[in-house]
Amino acid sequence: MNILEVRDLHVSVMHKPVLRGVDLVLHGGGIHAIMGPNGSGKSTLAHVLAGRDDAQVTAGTMLYQGMDVLAMTPEIRAGAGMFLAFQNPVEIPGVSNVRLLKEASNAHRRYLQLPEMDAMTFRSQLQDRARRLGLADDWLLRAVNVGFSGGEKKRNELLQMLVLEPHLAILDEIDSGLDIDALTTVAEGINSLRDAQRAMLLITHYPRLLDLVVPDKVHVLIGGRIVLTGGPELAGQLEARGYGWLAEEHS
Amino acid sequence: MNTAMNSHQAHFIAHAATLPGHDSALIHASRQAAMQRFMGMGFPTRKLERWKHTSTRVIAQTVYRHVNPGCVGLDPADLDPHLIARQGIHRLVFINGLFVNSLSDMSALPGGVQAGSLARVVNESPGVVAGCIETFPTGDDQGFSELNHALWPDGAFVHVSTGTRLTQPLHLLFITTASREPMITQPWNVLIFGSDTHALVVEHYVTLGHTTHHLTNPYTSLILDDRAHVHHLLLLGERLPANHVGTVQVTQKAGSHLGSHLFANGGERTRQEVHVTLAGAEAECALDGLFFASGRQHMDFQTSMHHACGHTRSRQLYKGILDEQSRGVFNGVIRVPPGVHHTQSRQTTANLLLSDTAEIDARPQLEIHSDAVQCSHGATVGSLDPDALFYLQSRGLDVNAARALLIHGFAEELLQRVAPAEVRGWVGRSLNPGEGVRDEDRPGIV
Ligand SMILES: Nc1ncnc2c1ncn2[C@@H]1O[C@H](COP(=O)(O)OP(=O)(O)OP(=O)(O)O)[C@@H](O)[C@H]1O
Ligand SMILES: [Mg+2]
Repeated sequence: MNILEVRDLHVSVMHKPVLRGVDLVLHGGGIHAIMGPNGSGKSTLAHVLAGRDDAQVTAGTMLYQGMDVLAMTPEIRAGAGMFLAFQNPVEIPGVSNVRLLKEASNAHRRYLQLPEMDAMTFRSQLQDRARRLGLADDWLLRAVNVGFSGGEKKRNELLQMLVLEPHLAILDEIDSGLDIDALTTVAEGINSLRDAQRAMLLITHYPRLLDLVVPDKVHVLIGGRIVLTGGPELAGQLEARGYGWLAEEHS
Repeated sequence: MNTAMNSHQAHFIAHAATLPGHDSALIHASRQAAMQRFMGMGFPTRKLERWKHTSTRVIAQTVYRHVNPGCVGLDPADLDPHLIARQGIHRLVFINGLFVNSLSDMSALPGGVQAGSLARVVNESPGVVAGCIETFPTGDDQGFSELNHALWPDGAFVHVSTGTRLTQPLHLLFITTASREPMITQPWNVLIFGSDTHALVVEHYVTLGHTTHHLTNPYTSLILDDRAHVHHLLLLGERLPANHVGTVQVTQKAGSHLGSHLFANGGERTRQEVHVTLAGAEAECALDGLFFASGRQHMDFQTSMHHACGHTRSRQLYKGILDEQSRGVFNGVIRVPPGVHHTQSRQTTANLLLSDTAEIDARPQLEIHSDAVQCSHGATVGSLDPDALFYLQSRGLDVNAARALLIHGFAEELLQRVAPAEVRGWVGRSLNPGEGVRDEDRPGIV
């Protein structure tokens, strides 16, 4: 079964059409990248997959593991194993990372009808993962994303992903704002989750991430449509040539 | 003049000869003068600037029964939900405003600390409250405190003598018990902290059983001598038909530090005034408040920070969480008279509206008559951030859990300022609606 199957998806934001017929199929083990100019609709696609209600699906279908995504609330999508790493992670004053991760992980386990993990095991697993990402020990007690630098926010998104172990990870510019070493660490984190049961969608502007996490396919999204799909080498070509030539062909 | 006011006066006339301190000219004169002023001004009306958002009509028209020693049939286990689970806590319990020795626990009080019934102390040595009487606020909006001054039947008396450290919290628990007719309770609490003392006092109001409309009208005098370091928690957690109109009057001497932490979620109508006078150099005061109103609850908080002396500092942070058709008011005055220099004051109020029908009036009022001061203030009103809600949902939390977590986050800043941890956790749990029975459909604070 496909992990994700998007057919002829049309989405409007504030009554403005943003996605205009997107098709996308991800198999288990598959990693696809989406590239494209600013404002072409990449984040909108990510949001609509995660269930943000300010993006209206006007036509088309989305299936996750054969289930109709539109019939699922955002939390049910999460419980079922979908995960979005936000381009702009939200600051939540007064809520610590550990609190959020615990609530998220428990919600996830309830969905899977598993018992809650005991606090000690949870903490030690968490500390382990945080250290792997090079996050300081007091990290978990800090409020979610409050006062985090751009790169720290991205690492925090990745930490959440590693805790929730999703089957479909949509990573919206997880690489932007990361320093060179952090990029390597983050790529390792992503690769550690790579297996035949999971799929990933990487939204990025830079081929560097795709050198470290090599995708099966690279799609180019322009004006709300996938105008070109190629192999991993496409990322480098785009870096050299830009999007202008494609935009002209498809205007 | 109406029947309700007459009934208070009648009570005064009938009981003046037996009220605590009746033998003392000082106390008697103070009661008499307060009664006279009360009869002159009556209950405050909305024509008064500081009462314009809160109606006292129901209170002013109710004939209340004064003091009902209603602990008959009270099982000490009934208190359990309201107790702080920590070894070594000192506790004074008051039922309907009267001290109950058998429910209190002062066995571990260190030397140098006196704590018990104010009535008893005043009957023996009335002079100890003379200093507090001098600090009673005056003004035509003080009808409720005048009524307390005239009629108080008891209350807590706490005296921490010079150099003493009270390492364990002192819990003052005020319980209103079930009653069939409207009842008024009016404790006067006198808390005096000598020089170089340390203490944490929790003043806590709750209801046991189902009551009709009742009025709690406490007045608390806090005096901090030089370099006293005190935290005062005020928890207003009475049940719904309760009306609570309370006043806290603080006087701080040189180098003293007060952390005042107010937490309110109870009562149908709650009005709390906190007046602080910084009367000595290097005195420092932090006034914090967190209130949670839902249904048709009405909560009105008035602070006044009087920098009577130069080189004093104050900071205020009040946060309101308002749901359904509730109404909140925060009005804070900062006063720096002419000739007082080098003061720092800051006042912030932030409010979270959880429904379209909840309302808040929050405003600062500055009466600064001196140039050499630093003063800042700010007021915000907002609702839950939809981006944050979506973020949490995308992590698997359902809408209710996401809302509850965001509300918790909003409140956390004020809870964090409470120490030790057992008290902090206990405050958080006490604030949750449903008193421990978790109502999933309603957001709790913690
Ligand atoms: N809430 C909104 N209100 C109005 N327009 C919006 C809203 N959200 C997105 N849009 C518009 O939708 C279009 C697509 O935005 P989107 O964020 O999906 O772009 P993107 O491809 O992710 O861009 P970038 O590379 O800059 O992240 C843009 O024109 C944007 O302005
Ligand atoms: Mg984007």
